Amino acid sequence: MTRLNLLLLVVLVCSAIYLVQTSYESRRLYAALERERNAAHQLDVEAEGLDVARRAHATSLRVERVAREELRMRAATPAVTEYVTDPARTAAAAQGGRP
Amino acid sequence: MKGSFLQRLVAGVRSRLAPAARNRAGARRRERPTANESQVVRYATSPLLAAKTPPLRSRLLVLGLGLGFCVLAGRALYVQVINPAFFQKEGEIRYGHTFALQASRGRIVDRNGQILAASVPAPSVFAVPREAKVSPEQQRELAKLLGLPANDLARRLSGKSCFVWLRRQVDEVVAAQVKALGAKGVYVQREFRRQYPEGESAAHVVGFTNIEERGLEGVELAFQKDLQGRSGSRSVVRDRLGRVVEDVGEMVDAEDGRDIALAIDSKVQFYAYQRVRDAVVEHRAKSGSVVVLDTQTGEVLALANYPSYVPGERASMSGPQLRNRAVTDTFEPGSTMKPFIAALALQTGRVRPDTVIQTAPGRISITGSTIHDAHPHGALSVEQVIQKSSNVGTVKMAMQMQPREMWETFSAVGFGQKPALPFPGMASGRLRPYKSWRPIEQATMSYGYGLSTSLFQLARAYTVFARDGDVAPMTLLRAEHAAGGAPVFSPEVARSVRKMLQMAAGEGGTAPKAQAIGYSVGGKTGTAHKQEGGGYAGNKYRAWFVGIAPISAPRVVVAVMVDEPSNGRYFGGDVAAPVFSSVVQRSLQILGVPPDMPVQPQIVARAQAAPAEQESF
Repeated sequence: MTRLNLLLLVVLVCSAIYLVQTSYESRRLYAALERERNAAHQLDVEAEGLDVARRAHATSLRVERVAREELRMRAATPAVTEYVTDPARTAAAAQGGRP
Repeated sequence: MKGSFLQRLVAGVRSRLAPAARNRAGARRRERPTANESQVVRYATSPLLAAKTPPLRSRLLVLGLGLGFCVLAGRALYVQVINPAFFQKEGEIRYGHTFALQASRGRIVDRNGQILAASVPAPSVFAVPREAKVSPEQQRELAKLLGLPANDLARRLSGKSCFVWLRRQVDEVVAAQVKALGAKGVYVQREFRRQYPEGESAAHVVGFTNIEERGLEGVELAFQKDLQGRSGSRSVVRDRLGRVVEDVGEMVDAEDGRDIALAIDSKVQFYAYQRVRDAVVEHRAKSGSVVVLDTQTGEVLALANYPSYVPGERASMSGPQLRNRAVTDTFEPGSTMKPFIAALALQTGRVRPDTVIQTAPGRISITGSTIHDAHPHGALSVEQVIQKSSNVGTVKMAMQMQPREMWETFSAVGFGQKPALPFPGMASGRLRPYKSWRPIEQATMSYGYGLSTSLFQLARAYTVFARDGDVAPMTLLRAEHAAGGAPVFSPEVARSVRKMLQMAAGEGGTAPKAQAIGYSVGGKTGTAHKQEGGGYAGNKYRAWFVGIAPISAPRVVVAVMVDEPSNGRYFGGDVAAPVFSSVVQRSLQILGVPPDMPVQPQIVARAQAAPAEQESF
C-alpha cells in the first residue's frame, strides 16, 4: 500500500512538473506567435505605404513632365499612330484601322 | 472583563516565572564551580509545567481557534463563492488586457486599379506632462525633430495634465528618432494618414478626410461606411513583461474597410484637369470645370474643377476651392438646350431635318417681347437652325409645342432632377412646373433661359443623343455592364441630332475649334452673361461647350465650362471648345478608340529601308 502511494506520489510530482513545463512552453510560443503577427501587420502597413509612394512617383503629372522635359517626347496624335487591328475582330472594327 | 482577565493572567505568569528565573540565575552562577551541580536542575518538574491548566482557559483557547477558523472559512466562502467578482476584476486589471483591433480604411482606386487615396502610417507623438522628465538637451532635440518652437514645447510639457499631443502625424523616421531619444513621459502612438497620390487633379472627386480619418468630402464622405470598416476587439492575458501569453474570451476580428473602385480614369482625369486649368489661366477666368462621361456604360470618366486643392494639405483648403463646381453650381444652359427642342420637334413629327424655317428678319415677338438672333440668317433648315444656333428658328419650333411636352422631355433627360451620384451638395437645377409657364417663358426656355442646370446634368442630358435616344444612368463606381436607360427619343432622331451637332462643331458652325484630329466630333456651344442678383451682368460671361465623340459610334460626352473669361475672348467656341477638342482626343486615345476620320499620316516611311522599319518616326 505504501509502495503504491509512493509510486503515485512520484507520478503526481512528475506530472505536475510536466504541466508547468508545458504551460510555460505554450506561453512562450504564444508570445512568439504574437510577435510574428505584429511583425506581419507592420510589414503589411509598410507595403501599403510603399505602394502609395510608388504610385506617387508614377502619377500622370510626373510621367508627363519627365517625358516632355527630360526625354523630349511628344504626345502621340492619330496622325502619327499606326492602328493595327486584331484579325480575330470583326470586319467592322477593321474599318477603323487606318494609319 | 477582558482587561481584568488579562491582568490576572499576566500577574499569575509573573509570579510563577520569578522563582524559575532565580533558579536559572543561581544555576548559571553555580555552573562554573561544579559541573555536576548543573544536572540537578529539573526541567521536567518545572513548576510552570507542573501547574495544571484550568479547564476554562483551554476551552477558551479551543473556542478562539475554532472561531478564527470559522472566520477564515467564512471569508474564503465569501471571496470564492458569494462575491468573487471583486478579486476577479482586480486580477484581470493586473493581467488581463482588452484592446481594440483597428480596422484599416479602404483604398480608393480608379478604373485601372491606380491608387487615388490610401492610408499610410503616420505616428503621433504625445506626452504625459505629469510624469514627463525631459532634460534640456532632450527638449531641444525634441523641438527640432517635431518642428515646434522651444517655448511652446516647454509649455506643453510643463502642465499637470495627463495627456497632451506634441505633434500629430509625423513621418515614421521622425517617430523612430523620438523613440530613440528616450525622453521619459513622451510616447509615440500609431496612427494613419490619408495620402492622395493624384493630388489636386482628382481632389473634388476623391474628397478628403479629417485627422481621425473620417470622410468629409467627395467619395471619402459618400462611401464613409464602406471605407471605414469595423474595428474588432481582443482580450488577452499578459505576463509580467507585458508579453501576450494567452487569449481569453472571444476575439472579434477587425473588418477592414472595403476598397472602392471608381469609374474615374486617372489619366483622363489628370489630362482634363490640366487642360481646364490651362484654359482658366489663359483666359484669366475665375474657374472652370470639365466632365467626361462614358456613353456606353454611364460611367463618369473624369470630373475636374479648377481652382482645386491638395487633399493631403489641410492648409490649402479654403471655401471657393473646395466647391465641386461641376455638380454644385447651376447656370442657365442657353444654346445647349436647342438640340433638345429640335429632337422633340423631330420626334413628334412636326419637322424633318430638312424642313425650312424662316428666321428672317432675325427677330420674333412673343406677347410683346422680342427675341433676337445675333445676326439675321434668312431661311434655314432645321439642321442649319442648330448649326447656326438661331434663337428665332428654335423659338418657332418650340411655340408649336405644348408646355407639357417640353417639360416632360426636359425632365426625362434629367433637368430639374438631382443626379443619382453620391456626392454631397449635388444641385438639382431649376425647372419650373409647366403649368406656370407663360408663352414668353416657354420661348426663352427653348433656347435655354429661365431654367438652370449643373454642368454634370448637362453632360448627362447629352448622352440621350450619344446613345440612340435613351439617357444612361450615371455611376461613379466601376460598372461592368452597359447601362440601359428609359428611351426618350427614337434612334433615328438621335442620329439626326448627332449630325446637326457635328455640323455645329464643323465649318460654318459656332465651334470649329472643337474639331479633334482623327475623330469626328459634334457639340454645342453656349455663352451667356452671368446672372447677378436680379439681372444679367454686362461684362461677365460664362462660356461652355458640350459635345459627343466620335459621332459615328459615340463613346464619350465631354462638357467644358469656363466661368468669367476676361481676357478679351469669351465665346464658348473660343474658350471652351479648344479644351473640349484636346480632352476628347486624349480621352479617346486613352480608351483605345480608333480614329473614325482619315488623317494625313505624318508617319515617314523609309521606302529604301527594310519593310520592318516602316514604323520609324
